[in-house]
Amino acid sequence: MGGKAKTPVTAGSYLVFAVTLAVAVLFAFPIFFNIMSAFKSNAEIMRDAIAFPQGFYIESFKYLLTETEYPKAMLNSAILTLGSIAAMIVVIPMAAYAIERTNKAWTNAVYVFFLFGMMVPFQVYMIPLFKQLNLMGLFGNLLGPIFIYIAGSVGFGVLLYTSFLKGVPREIEESAAIDGCSRIGIFWRIVFPLLGPVTASMVVLQGLGIWNDFLMPMLVLPSGQTKTMIVELFYYVGEFSSRWDMIFAGTTMSLVPVLIAFLSLQKYFVKGVSSGAIKG
Amino acid sequence: MSATATGKKKNQWWRSYAIWFILPALILYSVFVMVPTFSSVYLSFTSWDGLSSDIRYIGLDNFKEIWESPRVHNALKNTIIVAVALVLLENVVALLLAILVDQVRWLRNFFRSIFYFPVLMSGIIMGFIWMIILNYNFGVVNQLLDMLGLGAVKTDWLGDPDFALLSIILSTVWKSSGYYMIIYLAGLQGIPQELLEAASIDGAGKWKQFRHVTFPLLAGATTVCVMLSMIGSLKLFDQIAVMTNGGPGFATETLTYIIYKVAFGEGRQGFGTALAIVLFALILVISLIQIRVLRKREVQM
Repeated sequence: MGGKAKTPVTAGSYLVFAVTLAVAVLFAFPIFFNIMSAFKSNAEIMRDAIAFPQGFYIESFKYLLTETEYPKAMLNSAILTLGSIAAMIVVIPMAAYAIERTNKAWTNAVYVFFLFGMMVPFQVYMIPLFKQLNLMGLFGNLLGPIFIYIAGSVGFGVLLYTSFLKGVPREIEESAAIDGCSRIGIFWRIVFPLLGPVTASMVVLQGLGIWNDFLMPMLVLPSGQTKTMIVELFYYVGEFSSRWDMIFAGTTMSLVPVLIAFLSLQKYFVKGVSSGAIKG
Repeated sequence: MSATATGKKKNQWWRSYAIWFILPALILYSVFVMVPTFSSVYLSFTSWDGLSSDIRYIGLDNFKEIWESPRVHNALKNTIIVAVALVLLENVVALLLAILVDQVRWLRNFFRSIFYFPVLMSGIIMGFIWMIILNYNFGVVNQLLDMLGLGAVKTDWLGDPDFALLSIILSTVWKSSGYYMIIYLAGLQGIPQELLEAASIDGAGKWKQFRHVTFPLLAGATTVCVMLSMIGSLKLFDQIAVMTNGGPGFATETLTYIIYKVAFGEGRQGFGTALAIVLFALILVISLIQIRVLRKREVQM
């Protein structure tokens, strides 16, 4: 990169910039179009899709926030995302730590058993799972999806954490043990803080996946009170089929948290991709 | 001597704590992934409707039906079309984007973020936006065609069986390419500048440099991206749900979509699980090939 900076600016540099800019306009347009349309009335959208909004029309936001269950759905999505992530980063690193530090036949067997789950797509087990949640009384309860998310990320998470733990030296743990620190204390006070980079990748990747998830929450949280934001939006597309302004306002509201998270945690999003690249 | 003593003591200690550390993950994973997976295998041999307590064993009938059903064949055909098209297009577009971001002089991080952002969107939201952009009467695409005097080319992009699948494929390329771009970009930035300089001194033009130096050195990134985009395309669901619901007719029904429709729309959960097993087998085969290919590359390195 340093070498590149020294080369002189040529006509080629302007050409590359122009091409990149054109492609960027193409890529950004749908998102720009979405946010722009959220501030247009339905009549405006129908009259001319490309035109800029005439004023700052916020009636659709007001309507969604006061007359519908959208705020509730936003809250559900937030609870589901934060709750699952919080539980995930407790349960998974602990299991990975025990597996990595105990080199026994049974822990290796558990490890292989966990990895197998990475290859099973959700569609393969969703049908019996639906019935099973009913039997367990978790159907329509936010706790159900939280359990499913944790369970579904065990394979991938354990793989990430164990491979990182291989590079974490045991000496500190051993001296802490000699000082009389309990195993759980060693893990939380000494090891867990060292796992920061993996935890950050997990939070970003899984958090985004849960926030955006559709199929599973639609199947197991069908009632009005527990629908997530994305599921609610999906039904709006059918219900408000001629009220696009409503849907645009809804999609804009669900994009804003993602945008904020992306801008503030950009580094982790990019890193998360490379760690996600090993996921099958 | 003391080392072996502490070692022994440590071992016993390890054993007692390891169980408790692993147990929560093991229980959740077993109950919410493994039990339903094995139930799926069992249910695929039944004619269960999802409601009645009468689960009848029908042997291989479901798989026989899969083998013979034209609707399943159509879904399989669509799945293959989507997979091949997405793997090719996503990778070509991602590589082009990575080259642009790598070469551009100004605003590099800004461009990278713009290309990457669609990756962060839910398939439902992205599908909805494209559904409206592609709408026959009020959509942006047809409006632009009108402005350009190409009104004759105007089409109901999602309502016409000839274009519906294509529209889903192209909008998915828009959504996913940024992900693979990041992987290619890391590959590009790992290529030593000296190699390209040496090639250019030897008289290789830009294209030849790319063809004979850059592209071969991106082999690792390419393998990863091809496999990931392949598996991603087999799991495509949200866009189809919101943009076409599998229609018009069965024009955009893929394997993942037909599983959902058959099981939850038509009350044939036994048949649905049999289809799910077929999907699983497909993904398993691809994953095994992936491991094979990756191992081979490791040996070469």
